[in-house]
This record gives sequence, structure tokens and C-alpha cells, in this order.
Amino acid sequence: MKNFIGSRSLPDMIYHAPESIEKLFLLLSDAARPFRIVAGCTDFIPAVRTGRWSFDEEVTIIDLKQIKALNYIEHQGGMVHIGACTRLTQILESPEIQEKAPVLARAVTTMGSWQVRNTATIGGNICMSSPAGDTIPALLVLDARVTLAGPDGEEEMLLKEFLTGPGQNTMEDNQVMTRISFPAMEKNETACFKKIGNRTAVIISIVSTAVRITLEHGVCRNVKIAMGSVAPTPIRINRAEAFLEGKRLDQEVIHRCGALVSEEISPITDLRASGDYRRDVAATLVKRAIAECMEEKE
Amino acid sequence: MKIPLNLTINGDTVELTVDANETLLHVLRNSASLQSVHRSCEEGECGACTVLVNNEPVNSCLVLAVSVQGASVMTAEGLVRNNEPHPIMKAFTDELGIQCGFCTPGMLMTAYALINRCEGSELTDEFIRKSLQGNLCRCTGYVNIVKAVKKAKQNKDAGYWW
Repeated sequence: MKNFIGSRSLPDMIYHAPESIEKLFLLLSDAARPFRIVAGCTDFIPAVRTGRWSFDEEVTIIDLKQIKALNYIEHQGGMVHIGACTRLTQILESPEIQEKAPVLARAVTTMGSWQVRNTATIGGNICMSSPAGDTIPALLVLDARVTLAGPDGEEEMLLKEFLTGPGQNTMEDNQVMTRISFPAMEKNETACFKKIGNRTAVIISIVSTAVRITLEHGVCRNVKIAMGSVAPTPIRINRAEAFLEGKRLDQEVIHRCGALVSEEISPITDLRASGDYRRDVAATLVKRAIAECMEEKE
Repeated sequence: MKIPLNLTINGDTVELTVDANETLLHVLRNSASLQSVHRSCEEGECGACTVLVNNEPVNSCLVLAVSVQGASVMTAEGLVRNNEPHPIMKAFTDELGIQCGFCTPGMLMTAYALINRCEGSELTDEFIRKSLQGNLCRCTGYVNIVKAVKKAKQNKDAGYWW
């Protein structure tokens, strides 16, 4: 089934689609190896086709999409909880997310196409742990926590502790992500997501950023700045955040904040862009995001 | 691994036996002989393989066929009724939103889903373009496609639709 250079046929598969989390763990305990846990498959299939992932003979696929208990969005006691298998379109169209975490909705609108968002899941985006995963900077400024479930029970951790490197995270083989949780944003807060790619749609980020600020009488409080594609994982830019804290926003302050961002990141050169370009664009993108937060509150 | 698969394709219930590693694209083209579903990039970039699964557009190249067990699937063949082209197809030919035709079936399915969703509300150029971001066309430059989608919406508002 090879049709052009770089496209490989899919390996033989053993397919399971458990309907509940209990059945999932039963399956996991004696699934034939190697196995892969999948949800939307919108990154899994390209990963196999392009050879990022390869399997010698056959692979066992455990599909989480039939588990209804992993697909929900709820707002309870000031916290927003999202099931890991919630599709991106559901997040985008959810009134709860639009009101309580508009920065996440903004990030999701820039991801893939309508077709991809109809299939892709938020848990998939996080578990692939790409430095360019676009939900992650938005979730980092929301102080999101993720819940992993395994045969020994559940554990919850900060998203930034979950991510350990490009394509790497702390999840064990027999664990699955079940939930993403974060505190709802307050009325006096403002947040913004921006990304730069080779074109404006259906593109992987060259640099992305999410900025969240509370403006109290023009003074910045609780500043949170996160960036994607500028380090081994999406990261928070702590020194730039500390610099803005308690300051009044003007052109000079925003400019110096952008310069700090350039110093703090460690971008690499890859197929999509050079490290130098990323460093320049990162500063510009953060400056634009801060300016937009400021305008939104005026 | 062979798996029995039940689908409703363009209104007909079908029972197929498929390999676990077959994509919906492959099954629709090879087992169901629906050649409007075009195979191109196979990684979700181009949208030529777009079909509706339970009324929502998806890239059939990124969907394992066994994962949509029991679903209702619609392809461009399902738009035709009594050998009559669908009003959305008429709009695409009237407005010359079609040239080589390779992207057209996928484009039609996304546009069809878009128009059905926007019952009563107006479709702006910007919203049409945003919704069709996942369907690449290398001929038309999209201007006539946007016109065609607007024309199709007018057809629907005038009651010329099915």
C-alpha cells in the first residue's frame, strides 16, 4: 500500500475497544506486546505512516474511544474537569470552556482542521507530549493537573511535572490518562493564546504561547506565560513572569519582557524553523499576546 | 486480525469483514467500491478523503474502520438522489467551484455538513474559509468554492435541498 516516498503501510493489528475502565485494565494486564493505547488516532496513524513509530510484526491497539466515562466536560466547585477522550470539537463548542477557560478554546481553534478536531482528543494531544502540542501551553497557564489511572489506583499530578521531554512523560505502560482538571478563570483575569506556523491553518506550531494576567487597576498580578516548541517540552517562562508581576504595562515593559523570554528559552533548529528564528519570534509573540490581554481588559 | 464490521453507508446497512489495520478510507474504496473517497496524503493534511461519520466530517484516512462500528457513514455518492445531482453539486458546477475535481468530493462533504449546521444563520466568507481549512484545492484558489458554498446555502434557504 505504499503510494509515495515516506508513506508506509500500517502494521498488522490486534484491535480491542473496551467499553469501561475496568475492562480496560483487565485487557492491559495480559495484552500481547507491543501494545499502543490510542484514542483519536489522528497522530498515531501519521506517526506510523511517516516511520516515527515502527513495529516489527504486529501491534495490539487498545482504543479508548468507546469508554463513555472518559468523555465529558464539567464545571464543579470552581474546577473544570475534562475527560481525557473528549474530542477537540466538543471542547471548542463547550459553553463551560468558552466561559471558564477561553484560552483553551482559543488554542483548540488553531489546531488541525475541522475534520481532525472531530476525531482528535485532548488526552491524545497531551500524551503524545510533543513540544509543539498546542493544548499544552494553554493548560500550563491554567495550572492544569492530569490524572493517571493504573491497576494500582489513580494519581494526580501537575501537567508540567507529567511532561519530561519530547514525546516523553511519566506515564507507565499500564497507565492511562483519565482526566484533565484546572481552576476556572476569574472574571478579572484575561488570557490569550497565539501561535506561528508556516501558514495560518492546519499547521504545527513553530512557536506558540499562552499568557494569562490579572489586571488590578492597570497593575499585573498572577502573571503566567507558557510557550511551546522552544524547549524539550512546553514550558512556563518563570523569569519573564516574575518581571511583569506588579508592573504597569507600557511599551517599554512589554519590550523588556519579550527580551527576557528570548533569553530564557532554549529552542532548537529543526525542519520547521531555525533556533535563531524561534528566539526572535518567541519574543514578538509574547509581546503581542500581552498587548492583546491589555486591550481586552480596556 | 479479521473483524466483522456493520456500517450504514449512504443509508444502506452493510456487513463487511475487514482487517483491523484497514482505514475507513480503504474500506470505503475497496470493500464498498465508493470511488469518490479520494486517497491522497493519508495523514490528514489534504481532506480529499473527507466523509461524514454520524453527520460530522472526518478524514477517513485517519480513522480505523473497526473503530466506527455501527456508525452511519455518508460519502459524495450519497448526495445523489434518483440520478439527480444534489443542489450543493449544482452550486459547485454553477459557480465553477470545481476544476480538476480531485478535491471536490471531500470539499462537498465538508461544505454539506457546514450548511446543514448553519440552519437559519448567515454564512460569512470568513466562516466558510475557516470551516474548509482542512480541504486543500490546488486549482481554484478557493474564491469560486466560497461562492459555490454561498450559492448552495441559498439553494437550501429556498427549499431546494435534500
